[in-house]
Amino acid sequence: MPTLVDLLARVSFLAAMPAVAGVLVTAGLLVVSREWRLNVIALAVQYFFVVLLLTRLIRLEVAAVKGLIGWMICMVFYLTERRASVLEQSPAAEGTAVSRRWPRWVMSARASFSLLAGLLVSVAAYTAALRIPLPEVPTDITLACYLLVGLGLLLIGLSEAPMQVGVGLLTFLSGFDLFYVALEPSLAVTGLLGAVSFLIALATAYLRVAQIAAGGEERNP
Amino acid sequence: MIAGPLLLLILPLAMAGIVYILLRWKSLSALLAVGTALVLGIVVGTLPLDQPVRFWGGREIALGEVVTLFGRELILDQADRMAMAFLFFTSAGLFFLAWHSAPHSLLFPMGLSMLSLLSGALLIRPFIYAALLIEIAAALSVFALQAEGGAPTRGGLRYLTFTTLALPGLLVTHWLLERYTLTPDDTGLLSMAATLLALSFALLLGVVPFHTWVPAVAGDSVPLAGTFVLTVGNGAVWFLLLDFLETYPWLSSHPRFISLVFSAGVAMVVVGGLLAPSQRRLGPLIGYAVLVDSGAALIALGMNSKLGLTLTLLSLLMRPFGLALMATSLSGLRAHSGGDDDFDALRGLGWKAPWSTAALIFGGLSVAGLPVSAGFVWRWALCRALAPSSPGSALLLLLAGLGVMVGVWRGLSVLLVRPRSPENCSVISLGSSESWLTAVVVTIAILSCIGVGLFPQALAPLVVRLVETYTFFTP
Repeated sequence: MPTLVDLLARVSFLAAMPAVAGVLVTAGLLVVSREWRLNVIALAVQYFFVVLLLTRLIRLEVAAVKGLIGWMICMVFYLTERRASVLEQSPAAEGTAVSRRWPRWVMSARASFSLLAGLLVSVAAYTAALRIPLPEVPTDITLACYLLVGLGLLLIGLSEAPMQVGVGLLTFLSGFDLFYVALEPSLAVTGLLGAVSFLIALATAYLRVAQIAAGGEERNP
Repeated sequence: MIAGPLLLLILPLAMAGIVYILLRWKSLSALLAVGTALVLGIVVGTLPLDQPVRFWGGREIALGEVVTLFGRELILDQADRMAMAFLFFTSAGLFFLAWHSAPHSLLFPMGLSMLSLLSGALLIRPFIYAALLIEIAAALSVFALQAEGGAPTRGGLRYLTFTTLALPGLLVTHWLLERYTLTPDDTGLLSMAATLLALSFALLLGVVPFHTWVPAVAGDSVPLAGTFVLTVGNGAVWFLLLDFLETYPWLSSHPRFISLVFSAGVAMVVVGGLLAPSQRRLGPLIGYAVLVDSGAALIALGMNSKLGLTLTLLSLLMRPFGLALMATSLSGLRAHSGGDDDFDALRGLGWKAPWSTAALIFGGLSVAGLPVSAGFVWRWALCRALAPSSPGSALLLLLAGLGVMVGVWRGLSVLLVRPRSPENCSVISLGSSESWLTAVVVTIAILSCIGVGLFPQALAPLVVRLVETYTFFTP
């Protein structure tokens, strides 16, 4: 049975512009979508592409560990949101069940705005990657860093919901991590950054649970 | 032999676990938290650095021993030792107040864990790890800031966000400075490092326009946990900034350093002073008062002199007195108003909660820097020091203090609304519903605040000794 490292080695041909495109699509989805299932999947795929890009800068094993931390974070988010969706099935919410079951395939004003803002940030990231290249990393990884940092910041700015902010912070940190491993490949820093990401996930999940426990006054917008 | 730095890291962390298990017994968990912080404060403040001390059972503690942990050095020097004593004693005081105001709160275990991490941030070399430890402490603070059964705290989330945004700047600065040692001709590296450091510390200290987390933490979380973040957490950041200035003297001698720090301080004072009187909730009012306080401390640092540094350190020592009183007051008043601190909800509550109201008055005086309070000691000295060279700044500082006091006065006028008709009398009881324990705790806190304000010479020698350890400013 192939190990995770073997699997990553097999798909290493994607670790250039395809991975950057993957990062753009997944981070863009996180910005536009408020559907938690889609967001958790997008975050997991985003970590996959980030790990692919990381394999060009650090040892495959270390990149795999970073990926595992990311997927554990996705698991935390999945379990939290699943529990939250069960708790939200109150009698008051049943009246709106039909509209939730059959979502209209028309973009809301919020999603349109988020998409437009995401596009603007992506263009800004592309321009920044051409004009302000980051030291020690190739151009395509520079672009991925700028995209993750920019779209992460956008996510943080667009919402005050704990999970959205948490996902935004983690996206921001992924972008920074992608750059920083080239500067400081120390295992201690890698471990501490992993701990930081995991604690951010736990803290935001805790706040999400508090949100549900408090009566869901501010449920996901 | 036990190495002191390891003791300072491991003991609070171990006690945090024990306190968490015992959290359902509020007095036991609170006393354990208070005891741990107090003992560690005494240990770090009194034991000699240069020789081991023998304790019972023949065990020795070598406080000044350099420890290597995972290849990184933990060094306890004189400046950090006093900074850590301040952090431990402040925590002990806040835990003591939380014993009554916020029982069963996660502040006890999370506060102890944060103490361990913040101590690590001050002890560890190089500073790159300090940034990561402060970030982890910020993530833990979210658990303490969140009220049991309350809506999710915006304060915790914003604090975590701004701390995370500050992280990259601090980490990359370390790499830039390492590069500079290899290529000393490339002064662009220094400029970039200075810019990143300024941005990161602006985010961490809540400098305008990155200040939104300060009123959110003060107004939208467990009050004493918010105070913990704004005194202990923020205090560690201040001492880290001073460590940076001490380690990299080119930073304080940078041509724009003085003007940047001074302007940032004035901006905070102006924004805080303008927004404080217009608040309609007590929590954010405290936040804007803290903004004025931090701004004044930055102005003192921007004076670029030993006197300025003395006043900055004095501000850090004095801030917990006023802030803890206001947080205790906020806790008490929220308990009587069903968790709301809006002025409409607090109408007439002063008669039901007289001790909380008294705490608000004296805490307000202190954070506004007005007489007969701890805050007055350094704020008045700062105004006098500023007056000859920058009278405009001194005037702004005085007006900002008055602005804060106007906000407190508005709160008081609502709290002390008396029933005017017999019908209202039946609604608003004039009798106190606060326990004698609240009265004792608040009285001790008020007397401490006034005592330090009347006899600042009790703390002054400590500050002078602390200032002596920093050499980056010319006298």
